[in-house]
Amino acid sequence: MAERASERFVRLVGLVSYLETSGPVPVDDLARRFGVTPKQILTDVDTLWISGTPGYWPEDLIDFDADSYDRGIVHLTESRGMTRPLRLGTRETIALVAALRALREVVAAGGDTEQTAVVDSALTKLTAATGEATNALDVRLTVDAAPHVMSAVRTALQNRTRLRIDYVNASDITSTRTVDPIRLLPSDDHTYLHAWCTDAQGERTFRTDRILTATALDDPVAPTTSDRPAPPTYRPQGHTARIVLSSRARRVAEQIPVETTENLPDGDFAITVRVANPTWLRHLLLRHAPDVRSVDPPDLAHDVTTTARRALDAYPDPQGA
Amino acid sequence: MPPSTPPAARLLNLVIALMNTSGRMTKDEIRSSVAGYDDATSTDAFERMFERDKDALRDMGVPIVAVDTGGHSQDAGYRIDKDAYALAELDLTPAEVGVLSLAAQFWQDTALHVDTARALTKLRSVPGAGDDGTDTIAGLSPRVRPLAGAYEPLLDAITARRVVTFTYRAASTGQVRTRTVEPWRVAVRGGWYLLGHDRDRDAPRSFRLTRVEGTVHPTGPPGAFTPPADVDVDTLIGLATPEPTLHALLAVRPERASALRARATTHPDHADNPVVPGRDVLRVHFTTLSAAVHEIAGYGDAIVVLDPPDLRDAVVTHLTTALHLTPTRSTRG
Repeated sequence: MAERASERFVRLVGLVSYLETSGPVPVDDLARRFGVTPKQILTDVDTLWISGTPGYWPEDLIDFDADSYDRGIVHLTESRGMTRPLRLGTRETIALVAALRALREVVAAGGDTEQTAVVDSALTKLTAATGEATNALDVRLTVDAAPHVMSAVRTALQNRTRLRIDYVNASDITSTRTVDPIRLLPSDDHTYLHAWCTDAQGERTFRTDRILTATALDDPVAPTTSDRPAPPTYRPQGHTARIVLSSRARRVAEQIPVETTENLPDGDFAITVRVANPTWLRHLLLRHAPDVRSVDPPDLAHDVTTTARRALDAYPDPQGA
Repeated sequence: MPPSTPPAARLLNLVIALMNTSGRMTKDEIRSSVAGYDDATSTDAFERMFERDKDALRDMGVPIVAVDTGGHSQDAGYRIDKDAYALAELDLTPAEVGVLSLAAQFWQDTALHVDTARALTKLRSVPGAGDDGTDTIAGLSPRVRPLAGAYEPLLDAITARRVVTFTYRAASTGQVRTRTVEPWRVAVRGGWYLLGHDRDRDAPRSFRLTRVEGTVHPTGPPGAFTPPADVDVDTLIGLATPEPTLHALLAVRPERASALRARATTHPDHADNPVVPGRDVLRVHFTTLSAAVHEIAGYGDAIVVLDPPDLRDAVVTHLTTALHLTPTRSTRG
C-alpha cells in the first residue's frame, strides 16, 4: 500500500516527540497508538535511525537503544531537537473543528448532556491550542428523527437492548420490526439506523425519519451485534432507467443516487438510476412530473401515467370537465 | 552506492536540519548537505523537489520562514520558526481523544480524510493523551458524502482570502458561465456548497460544488477581501425552513402515506363527503404550497385533496402533466 509521504512524515516526527517523554514503549503499543502495523513501526524506526543533521555522522543521528530494539521495545536515546509535537496545519484544524461542531449537534440532539460536555471540552481545548479562525468550513448533519424516536434509539444503543420500531419503507408500506441496533449513522442528508433486523434475519439500514414509533425493550441484543462493521455507502441494485429532466430538477437529481448525469444542449439533463424499487421511482416521478421530459423504458412511463390518471379520477369534479 | 532516500525521510531530514541550523540555510547548502536532495540530477530537478517539499511541509503546519538578507538571491535562506512549530499544550483526556477520533471518521470517504488523519496522528503523539476512547460515544458513526476535487483549492483560497474563478452550471437555466467569487465559506447541508460574494452579480451567492465544472482557480493577491463575520448559511443556500402556514385537509387511503400520517394533527370525521368512503380524513401542515403539491402528488392515488381549493387545483394541474409521459398519439398511430 502506497502511503503518502506527508502522512509518514507526520508519524515519524510524532513518534520521536512521543517517545521523548514516554520513555521506552513496546512496538505493539506504538502500532496501536499510531494506527499502523508493528512492521511499519519497525520500518519507521529504521528510517529515524539514519536521519539527523547534515554530516550524518553517528553523533548527528536520531538514536535508539539497540538492545531494547532487539527485544521489541522502542527506546529513544537521542532526538536531535525534535522533542515537541508538531502543531496542526490550517486545513487539518478546520476539518477537525468542523467535524466536532457537527458531532456536538448530533450528540446534543440525542439528549446526552454528559457526552455533549466531552465534545465541548475537546472543542474548547482544540480551538484554544490552534487559535485560528475556523469558520471556513461549516458542516451540519441532519438529525431528522422524531425526538421520542431518537431518545429510544439512543437508550437502546447505550444499554445494548433490543428496539421495536414501526417503519414505513420507500414503498410506503409500514411494518413493525424488532431490531438489534448496531449504530447510528448521522450523515449530511439523513440519519440512518444500522441494525440487525430479527424479523428479516439480516442487517438493515433504516432512515430514522421513517421510523414512526420506537420503543426500547428490556431484552439484550445478540452479543456479536456491536462487532458488525458499518455498511458501505448504499448502492442500489436493479435494472437502469434513463430520465430526462428540465434544469429546474437539478437539485432533485443531486439528492438521489444516480449512475450517470449527462447535460443536454438546451439546459435539460439526463440521469440514469438503478431501479431497486419501482414504487420509489414512481413516487419520485410523480412528485416532479412537471419537470420530467421523458422516461425510458416506456413501461415505467406508463406506470406513472396510469397512477396519475387514477389519482385524477378520484377527484369528483376534474378540471376541464 | 547508498539507496535513494524515501520522500518522507527527505522531509524529515530537511526539518531536522532547519531546526538545528543556527541562522538559516541557503538552497545551495540544502542541496549539498541535506540527505535526499543529492538524488536530484539537475538544478531544475532540485528546485522542483525543494519547492514541492516546502509547500507540503507548510501545508502540514511546519512554519518554514524565508530569510531575505537583502543581498542577492543566492544568499536567501530558510529557517523554521521554532516558537510556531510546536502544538500548544492540549492536555486531552482519553474521552476527548475518543471524541476527536470519532470526528475524524466523518471524512472517511473524502479528500478531508487525509487532513484529519494527520491531525489525529499529531494529537496521538502528545504524551499523556489517551490511547483509545472510540467507545466514548456508543454506536455513533457519522459520515458525510464524498466530494470531488474543488475542496482543497477553495479552502486554501478562503484562508488566504484570494478571489477564485470557476465554471458553473446554473440549476435554474442549465447555463454554463465563468464565475468570479470572493470565497467565504464551504458548507455541508445535504450536499457541498461554496458561499461567497459573486463579483459579477455584486451579491452574496451559494454555489453547489457538484455543479462546478473543471478546476477552481485562485486569482489575484492574498488578502483581497474581508469576509463578513456572520454568514447566514441556511438562508443563502435557501434552506431556512419557514413555519408551516398551509393547513390541508386530505382524504388518504387506509395503510398509505404513513410518513405523512405521522405529522397529521387531527382526524376529523367527514363521512358525508363523497370522496371519503373508504378513506381517512387527515389534517396536515405544510410549509409552502409548492412543497405540499410535490409531496401529495408523489403519493399518487393514495391522497385526494379536499381543502383548500387552490391546493386541490395545483395538485390536479401537477398530476395532469404526468399524463404526457406516455406518448398516446404514437401508440394509436
